[in-house]
Amino acid sequence: MLWKDKYELGVPVIDAQHKELFKRVESFLQILRSGDSWDEKVPKINETLEFMKKYVVEHFRDEEEYQRNINYPRYEAHKQIHDSMVNYVQDVSKQYEQSNNNEYLMQQFGGKLLAWLINHVAAEDQLIADYAIKKGMRDNDR
Amino acid sequence: MIDKLYRAFVNATHNVFNLMLSITEISDHPTEDFKCDDEVDIAVGIVGDLYGEVIYRFPVSTSLNMVNIMSGMQFNTVDVFVISAVSEIANIISGNVLTALSDSNVKCDILPPVQCKPYEDKEYEMKTSCCISTTIGDICLVIKLNRAS
Repeated sequence: MLWKDKYELGVPVIDAQHKELFKRVESFLQILRSGDSWDEKVPKINETLEFMKKYVVEHFRDEEEYQRNINYPRYEAHKQIHDSMVNYVQDVSKQYEQSNNNEYLMQQFGGKLLAWLINHVAAEDQLIADYAIKKGMRDNDR
Repeated sequence: MIDKLYRAFVNATHNVFNLMLSITEISDHPTEDFKCDDEVDIAVGIVGDLYGEVIYRFPVSTSLNMVNIMSGMQFNTVDVFVISAVSEIANIISGNVLTALSDSNVKCDILPPVQCKPYEDKEYEMKTSCCISTTIGDICLVIKLNRAS
């Protein structure tokens, strides 16, 4: 299982979204790495990719709103990381469409997404929780 | 400066392995201890007050172990997925080092990681390397940097 309890921030809305994101990425990776032929995988891959494009934006928006609410001092830097990832997902998705569902691109995307997501939630997002705890705001989220 | 860079990369590798892979036992040794026949080499370019590159030499077994832990799946061969995942880890370690250096007013950026061969190409003002041992295998880091004039 991709999700680990140590990733929890203690902010119910954000934690629920993180769990959903991990669940979707896990399912995406299982399809991506299954023994089926690429043609068989493509419909599921495309469906998950479309979901993630929307969900990532929605989640980042909610997380950024939470950061603004608690006056998180690293908000701008964190938003830049989010914006950069959204741009990357959109670029890959566009290239993937233009390449007529090229497998190499998706495998490359899957590897980066896996490492990026784990680091982002385990390291960057934990800094938000550390700040909220320090300020005594974690339980009064949103 | 060279010692500071060396320590910054070892510490960042330690932190990333701890946070991402739940591996806490890490030690650094001279590069001569690094023995590897088949490896994935990733270069991360550095620009700014310091410029050059850092080469991450991941043995195949270490690369596969890293991806197996992260994904909870079984990877037996290095393919584009594995290369992409370990490249991102090299990117994350390098990014953490540069963030740490920025606290000492050394301003640098990193370039996207690329797969490479660890060629000895040219002279660098600062050059150091180390072998980092972990419970899932070794990694060799080669740091090659110049100061911007």
